[in-house]
Amino acid sequence: MAYSFPEEVLEHVFSFLSSDKDRNSVSLVCKSWYEIERWCRRRIFVGNCYAVSPSLMIRRFPEVRSVELKGKPHFADFNLVPEGWGAYVHPWIVAMSRSYPWLEEIRLKRMVITDDSLELISKSFKNFKVLVLSSCDGFTTDGLASIAANCRNIRELDLGESEVEDLSGHWLSHFPDSCTSLVSLNLACLASEISFLALERLVARSPNLRTLRINRAVPLEKLPNLLRRASQLIEFGTGAYSADVRSDVFSNLTEAFSGCKQLKGLSGFWDVVPAYLPAIYPVCSRLTSLNLSYATSQNPDLGKLISQCHNLQRLWVLDYIEDIGLEELAANCKDLQELRVFPSDPFAPEPNATLTEQGLVAVSDGCPKLQSVLYFCRQMTNAALVTIARNRPNMIRFRLCIIEPRSPDYLTLGPLDAGFGAIVENCKELRRLSLSGLLTDRVFEYIGTHAKKLEMLSIAFAGDSDLGLHHVLSGCESLRKLEIRDCPFGDKALLANAAKLETMRSLWMSSCSVSFGACKLLAQKIPRLNVEVIDERGPPDTRPESCPVEKLYIYRTVAGPRFDTPGFVWTMDEDTAVRLS
Amino acid sequence: MSGGPMAIVKPEMKSYIWLQTADGSIQQVEQEVAMYCPVICREVAQNSTGSSKNNAVVLPERVNAAVLGLILDFCRFHQVTGRSNKERKIFDEKYIRLDTQKLCELASAADSLQLKPVVDLTSRALARVIEGKTPEEIRETFHLPDDLTEEEKLEPLRNMTDDPRIRLLNRLYAKKRKELNERKKLKNVEVEEQQRVDERSVDDLLSFINGGDGDSKGVRETKNKKKTRGRKEQARNNSPNNEAGNCNKESSCLASGCLNGDISDVSSPSRNSKLQNSASATFPSKLDFDDFDMDDELDPVMQEKIDREVEDFARRLNCDWPEILSLAPERRLGPISMNGNGSLKRCTAGVDRG
Repeated sequence: MAYSFPEEVLEHVFSFLSSDKDRNSVSLVCKSWYEIERWCRRRIFVGNCYAVSPSLMIRRFPEVRSVELKGKPHFADFNLVPEGWGAYVHPWIVAMSRSYPWLEEIRLKRMVITDDSLELISKSFKNFKVLVLSSCDGFTTDGLASIAANCRNIRELDLGESEVEDLSGHWLSHFPDSCTSLVSLNLACLASEISFLALERLVARSPNLRTLRINRAVPLEKLPNLLRRASQLIEFGTGAYSADVRSDVFSNLTEAFSGCKQLKGLSGFWDVVPAYLPAIYPVCSRLTSLNLSYATSQNPDLGKLISQCHNLQRLWVLDYIEDIGLEELAANCKDLQELRVFPSDPFAPEPNATLTEQGLVAVSDGCPKLQSVLYFCRQMTNAALVTIARNRPNMIRFRLCIIEPRSPDYLTLGPLDAGFGAIVENCKELRRLSLSGLLTDRVFEYIGTHAKKLEMLSIAFAGDSDLGLHHVLSGCESLRKLEIRDCPFGDKALLANAAKLETMRSLWMSSCSVSFGACKLLAQKIPRLNVEVIDERGPPDTRPESCPVEKLYIYRTVAGPRFDTPGFVWTMDEDTAVRLS
Repeated sequence: MSGGPMAIVKPEMKSYIWLQTADGSIQQVEQEVAMYCPVICREVAQNSTGSSKNNAVVLPERVNAAVLGLILDFCRFHQVTGRSNKERKIFDEKYIRLDTQKLCELASAADSLQLKPVVDLTSRALARVIEGKTPEEIRETFHLPDDLTEEEKLEPLRNMTDDPRIRLLNRLYAKKRKELNERKKLKNVEVEEQQRVDERSVDDLLSFINGGDGDSKGVRETKNKKKTRGRKEQARNNSPNNEAGNCNKESSCLASGCLNGDISDVSSPSRNSKLQNSASATFPSKLDFDDFDMDDELDPVMQEKIDREVEDFARRLNCDWPEILSLAPERRLGPISMNGNGSLKRCTAGVDRG
């Protein structure tokens, strides 16, 4: 390109680069590419909303159409992040409302969004199309009403697993009659009744609707009304899947499902009445995705259903599936890529379903494309893990949650180091790993040595000493997110590997042994980190410096310390040390 | 025929359009092929050019004879109406198998001729060339300059090499600079500072520096720390090339954190102290130093002296000096020339004399 290459053509070339990574590389090539790229960047992903400020983002990328932000650390899903910690999206919305009039898409995960923010969105962006709120909270159905009423071109409204305060089911009626653009509507998380009539009419006038997930409150008998008006659906989430057993309801339902010739994914299924399960048999063979994680159905109904889904690629299910059901899965669903087995009753002292390590071994054996696993169980052995590892070297995500902390290999009574070691050694493309069971520092040595592509690691109740953490921080070259709870990791490993932290998105440590003094030191060593001490016992300087902090959240940032910390969060900075020591 | 109306098409004769490329060469091309290009089509229709050699359609600058050939190959194939989509696709896939340079030329030419299908094909192909490459690799492939400043680079940080010698060096430089600044502030024109000889060996120093990893409580705010804190607001990351620089930040922090505030006494790093304790303005990484203008007035003689001392110190450390310094990227070269090897000159002078 020695001679001038026209900018528009270069922009056109960039438009074919889909990954953020490639766009980032392009922007770092030279001055002119940097400039061209920043003006034509249309989509931004911010993995940690506190890593950069809205003004920085806006200044660099003036023509953005789609923004994705993530807020609270992942362990917020397990209630480890106290209420009020942060992740408020409002400042972002305000800034974008001023600078991105053509913004079309906002996707948020684990953020707090208020009705005010929703209203601002609905009024500021004339061409707004997509709103996805995964695991968000802070808003009510009033906010949804503004979106419905004002976003003329809304295509996607997905409330994910958010917590919404249900003030009224009538917000759905705020979609004007002229709104016919909906492609995706996910209301599954709403607790109370929605206006069914409004929903029905909305569905009827949305010819492009491909995804519809209704909430539990919509009764089973009403499903055919929806399905008949939306036979083009690709993904459907039912409401409560229960009703008095009546043949007319059953045949209506079966007929309605049969009419959906393009249906590929099903979810919902609260309160399943087994007699109604066969109503979906007509669509089973087309299904690629099945989410039964709320379905309390058991074998043999469950197994029978699943065994008809020969094209299944993704299955989320409760442990009611048991080893037997998983064996059937392994035998029938050869395209399976992702399996998630959730506990039906994690707090029960005794297992309420015969789900053991055998089920997972069977699936790993029978499903050659299996690459993503989330498995809650009560027992595991090294032998099983080794088998799984050898069966599935193509594993990318492996999250094993043995419910009781520090459970050993139930046959040998030893730690599960060798088993997980086999996983990281054989599965060279492993990107995500969650550990559980009895584990010593040894497992971390294996991880540090072999898990070179590992990006996210979750550790709980594991390890013996700082050496464990040191192995991970010094060995895992691709590590981006590390979350740790209840492990005997202290200051040494952290401080010795302080520089590593700036190469990662974030580190969470709770109920470990990191001292307040070390937190301060860390903040001094690496200025571009926010070191947040989260401690509900009160200010950390009222306790000795050697006292471990309750929770620690460290993340790299170019935005400096945040200003919205609640009373139980302290951001360490270089001055703190001077003032307090 | 002279200029004016286009050549009359006789059914049994093909008619041709005359095209002139940027390099002056003129060729005739079958009419239906040439007219597949919107720009040529427009020229012929609106301005009645192309009917003779003297009245050739002058093609845009970016279209030379060679690339015109490629363009016409495309037009010649696709202007035939009978072809199936599959045929066209197969042709396109083969057509686009060109080296990067050719792809760029073709994209550029097609753009100027408004031949969108070729622009699309070449753009996609170029995107595939770019996919998965690092910025350096992309630069190499397209022969682009490495002209971004630190401020503009927002690269993710690489894992750092924890070379204690680098840390030591960085710390020492930082100290020297600080001292120089302080002296300047006092408007002290004294050229030589009194030597504070440190009798300790390098090894002693290194172990002193590397000992104590987190138990130290004393916090000494060095000037460097203040500067790095001021940096926070700037969207700036260390270039992966600048590992020396990264080590500097870490080392300055280590200095304050680990050494219990005694480092100010270890002003002269070297044992038999050929190194003066004058601040060095020469340092591989400028990342941690705010005021690049600070050393603008540094006496060149002094500068040279310092550089020599540093070089000597490096030799005494027995480290691979060029190798370490070559970790720092090539920056704007300062005006000061140096004895010593080229890499030293490049790096030390390159910090904008900061």
